[in-house]
Amino acid sequence: MRHRPLLTTALTAGCALLALAGCGSSASSSAGGATSSSSASAGAPVTGGNLVFANPQDAQSLDESTVFDNNSIWIIEQITQPLFTVTSNGKGVMPWLATGYTVSKNQLAYTITLRNGVKFSNGTPMTSKDVQFTLEQTMAAAQGWGYIDSAIKSVTAPSPDTVVVNLKYKWAPILADLALFANGVVPDNYGGKTAAAFYQAPIGTGPFKFDYWHKGSGLKLIKNTNYWQSGKPYLDSVTWTDVPNDNTRQLQVTSGQAQIDQYPAWSTVSALKSTPNVALSLFPSTETTYLAFNEKVAPFQDVNVRRAISYAIDRSALVKAVLFGNGQAANSIFPPQLPYYDPNSGGLQYSVADAKAALAKSSVPKGFTTTLLLPSGNSDYATIATIVQSELKPLGINVQIQQQDPNTANENFQSGKYDMYFSLWTMDIPDPDELATFALDPTAGSKSFFTFYNNSTVVKAVHAAEVTTDTAARQADYNTAQSQAAQDAFMAFLYYSPYQYVESSNVHGFLVTPLGNYHMEDVWLSPGS
Amino acid sequence: MSAVSADPAPAPAPVPPPAVTRVRARRARWYRQPTLMTGLVLLAVIVFMCYGASLLTSFNPDTQNLEQPLLGLGQAGHLLGTDQEGRDTWARLLYGGQVDLRVAFIAVILPFILGTILGSLAGYFGGWADTVIMRIIDIVVAFPFFVLVIALVFVLGTGEKSIYIAITAIGWVSYARITRGEITVAKRQEYVLAAQSGGLSSLRIIGRHLLPNVVTQSIVYAMSDIVQDIIAIVTLSYLGLGIQPPTPDWGTMISAGQNFLTTQWQLTTIPGIAVVITGLALSLIGDGLADLLRTGGS
Amino acid sequence: MGRMSFVLRRLVLLVPTAVGVTIITFFMVHLIPGNPAVTILGQRANPSTVAALDKQLGLNQPLIEQYWLFIDRLFHGNLGQSLYYQVPVSSLITSHLPPTLWLLCYAAVLGVAISVPLATLAASRKDAVRDHVIRVVPLLGLGLPAFWFGLILQTWLGTKLRLFPVTGYGQGFTGHLHSMFLPALTVAVALCPVLIRSLRASMLGVLGAEFVTTARAKGVPAPRLLVRHVLRNAVIPAVTVLGINIGYLIGGTLIVEQVFAIPGLGSLMINAIFERDFTVIQSVALVYGVLVVLVNLLTDVAYVALDPRVRFDA
Repeated sequence: MRHRPLLTTALTAGCALLALAGCGSSASSSAGGATSSSSASAGAPVTGGNLVFANPQDAQSLDESTVFDNNSIWIIEQITQPLFTVTSNGKGVMPWLATGYTVSKNQLAYTITLRNGVKFSNGTPMTSKDVQFTLEQTMAAAQGWGYIDSAIKSVTAPSPDTVVVNLKYKWAPILADLALFANGVVPDNYGGKTAAAFYQAPIGTGPFKFDYWHKGSGLKLIKNTNYWQSGKPYLDSVTWTDVPNDNTRQLQVTSGQAQIDQYPAWSTVSALKSTPNVALSLFPSTETTYLAFNEKVAPFQDVNVRRAISYAIDRSALVKAVLFGNGQAANSIFPPQLPYYDPNSGGLQYSVADAKAALAKSSVPKGFTTTLLLPSGNSDYATIATIVQSELKPLGINVQIQQQDPNTANENFQSGKYDMYFSLWTMDIPDPDELATFALDPTAGSKSFFTFYNNSTVVKAVHAAEVTTDTAARQADYNTAQSQAAQDAFMAFLYYSPYQYVESSNVHGFLVTPLGNYHMEDVWLSPGS
Repeated sequence: MSAVSADPAPAPAPVPPPAVTRVRARRARWYRQPTLMTGLVLLAVIVFMCYGASLLTSFNPDTQNLEQPLLGLGQAGHLLGTDQEGRDTWARLLYGGQVDLRVAFIAVILPFILGTILGSLAGYFGGWADTVIMRIIDIVVAFPFFVLVIALVFVLGTGEKSIYIAITAIGWVSYARITRGEITVAKRQEYVLAAQSGGLSSLRIIGRHLLPNVVTQSIVYAMSDIVQDIIAIVTLSYLGLGIQPPTPDWGTMISAGQNFLTTQWQLTTIPGIAVVITGLALSLIGDGLADLLRTGGS
Repeated sequence: MGRMSFVLRRLVLLVPTAVGVTIITFFMVHLIPGNPAVTILGQRANPSTVAALDKQLGLNQPLIEQYWLFIDRLFHGNLGQSLYYQVPVSSLITSHLPPTLWLLCYAAVLGVAISVPLATLAASRKDAVRDHVIRVVPLLGLGLPAFWFGLILQTWLGTKLRLFPVTGYGQGFTGHLHSMFLPALTVAVALCPVLIRSLRASMLGVLGAEFVTTARAKGVPAPRLLVRHVLRNAVIPAVTVLGINIGYLIGGTLIVEQVFAIPGLGSLMINAIFERDFTVIQSVALVYGVLVVLVNLLTDVAYVALDPRVRFDA
């Protein structure tokens, strides 16, 4: 099972189809029947078909106001939709259930116009009352996503197709917040049900509606015949199954029992490239893998020790051994898909000479013994661990590998009971602030990504970038933060990796955004396989 | 856990002559048993190959060669090819065998001792000791084996020590049952009654007279128990909860190689075959011993 | 002592065993480091969110109190709420029980279907070549790791030859038969060595008995002899062996369910352990415990029912 940060939004992104969505029409609507070819080359989308999506982990809940896990979120996004959504390159926001907005002079009130002709899956038309109810419910979810709407003072519905959002203070990210999946529009008053009953089978305006959920086995959504994008969705149904074993998921796709495999093991990639009937997709992502050092444990408070270790790791060897070449060495705390990424920030790269020099300057020139904590059952981490162990040995650094089950390992990491630990990050919003605060600010709840790294120059730069909207100034601040963090090697930045999916060759239109989510209304199956 | 191989109700041994003579008579016959001999020879071969690994291969099981991963059979001097990190499969198989054999053999000793002691107490003294021990046995047996083991490994952390503790906590039960069953019957024999009225202490009776005759059933069972332990260790390693990397072991090899079953099939298949053959050797030994017991003493 | 009192006595013994099982699981599960709140919150977990969720889930109360709560609910037929899914545990168990029962029964049927003919063949010609072969080959099954054998079957018969689905439970009766064949075979292969040996031994025992020699002398043809007389008597101890082993196998199916992605109790249990879903772990362990004891009881009863000579001496 993988670890992914759970600060995920449902900023659903389409591709070119977003442009079409704006026009309110899309590709051919009634094209039943066969297309000319059954191979990967496209042709017109075909309506019909049932798709099985094999996931390593089951969803947890369909309650959008409280759920945090990615799989649940990406499924909920097929059922409910927010007013705005993130663009396909993950760098901006655009209208979705809204068509436009105006801002008051004092920037405290946003008047949003709603799209016409949108219906819930039960046929009820969507109005501003539904939007008002949705936002108020999310705001009230104190244990859940309530904080995301904390800038909102009130929401009013002056007319059926207008909503006014009143803010407590000026807040530029409000549109991004409204685009969060937790603000996906649900029927007013939950259609008369209690919240708990409603979320057993939620109703929304999305392309699919809830059919059943056999926990631990499969969750099925069927086509919403009242969906507002005409001609879509193409598929009759999508079923997400829970199959933790990598090998089993792969077998399911190659034998035709499933059409999409989420996160196949990297080791199978080369075999998959030569397997008929399947295609491997590598989607650009914001995913980065790091090796974290606990600065509360000696000798990691010594910058030269951290630099030595960072220099000693051959990142291209890791990319080859773990990702089988499908990735690149990381050179900054930020990934390349993120705005304000600086390719010249100087993240340390492989150099044995520099590693030895740095260690010689440090407080433990002869080396030392330490432990590398790993979540068990993850063969990628196990591979990286053995490689790092063998690369640090010549320096006199003896690494003992300790595997714990993922839950325990994670807990120990977050409570600072570790020496070194692998961590992973994926962006949830198209703005560096989320990562910068999480990873570089020791006063935030995450204590600099649990490394206790504290550099006042970096902290100042991060705070400065939060309060200004001047892009040049922000770039300068983030450049400072990235370079300093690189020099201090508070973590070793290992590699950037894409999102890997395996699809049967008859799957078309499947796209994953850099934030990790996808649009099932764009997916269609060509007949035959 | 795999199936119980001992008979559920082993026939009680006939009235035994004094211990010494019987053992001598038995020794004269054991090498004539084909099953036993085949098993012993096979096991000897396996043990020799694993512990003589340095004679059979010049490769080191830990040396990585990231430039040449996943080589096929016989390529670049690697008899069985290499794994994902370029480590020689044949070397890992042999050195891994050392680890698995060692851990399995050691893991059987403590349950054997603990179970035999508790079983003798229950069988000889009866009464509340018997009731308490039998109830505990019922409870332990009601648990799915792997659930207990996985949970214990979580609590204790991964690694060899945890495996020993987990297997001991659950494995003593079979030995206790066997010993109790044997002693319950054997204690009614005349020579025991004689010893009791002669004033010998219970401990002496149990230790000197009862156990030596009764323990052979446990030894037979121990052979199949080692097989079950090997499978348990291999399964735990497959789940990531057993032997830790980079120590080679058959379970981790099977787990790491499973994605390549259609291309480099030997990575997963060969370690599995190693487990099966080792299991075969031990089972033959167990069967041979059981045969010996049935026909022995005549 | 009569049959009824025997059965009653065994049922009564079920109670302390069940209590013992609940105590051990409850406390062991809570000794496991890690907190379900951490799993549910994931990377968003920090001391304050975890504390809040702990309170909501009732995890911050003293263990003894949590245990009494569990037992109290149990007596009212309530197994509690899954910490991960927030639905009643009993609904999870009812939905996951059928696949596991299917697997066990199917495996038992396959095991018997393979073992009986082989054991008969072996016993009818003792010490012949085929007897030796049939005695040795199943020994391979004793040392066979279930997950490894399952993988091999899955890859070659499932993916390469496409004879069977590689995973899952299937739909409808024939669907189940088709989908569960490979996993049931994997489990059966562990049963066969013991069944074959036991059947063969008891058949040999019966073949040497007086009434058989008499029947032969009377000219009863061999096949009829085998089936009518030998098999029927030989099957009795085999039933005991089968029963005992089902008890072991109930737990052994855990791994097979993982490999073949069968949504049974085993998968539920393994996922619950990794997610620290205490309520599910406790309840499933209890269900397993009850199943094992029931199967043992049934075995004893069947043994007695088949052989009228046996009496109920404890």
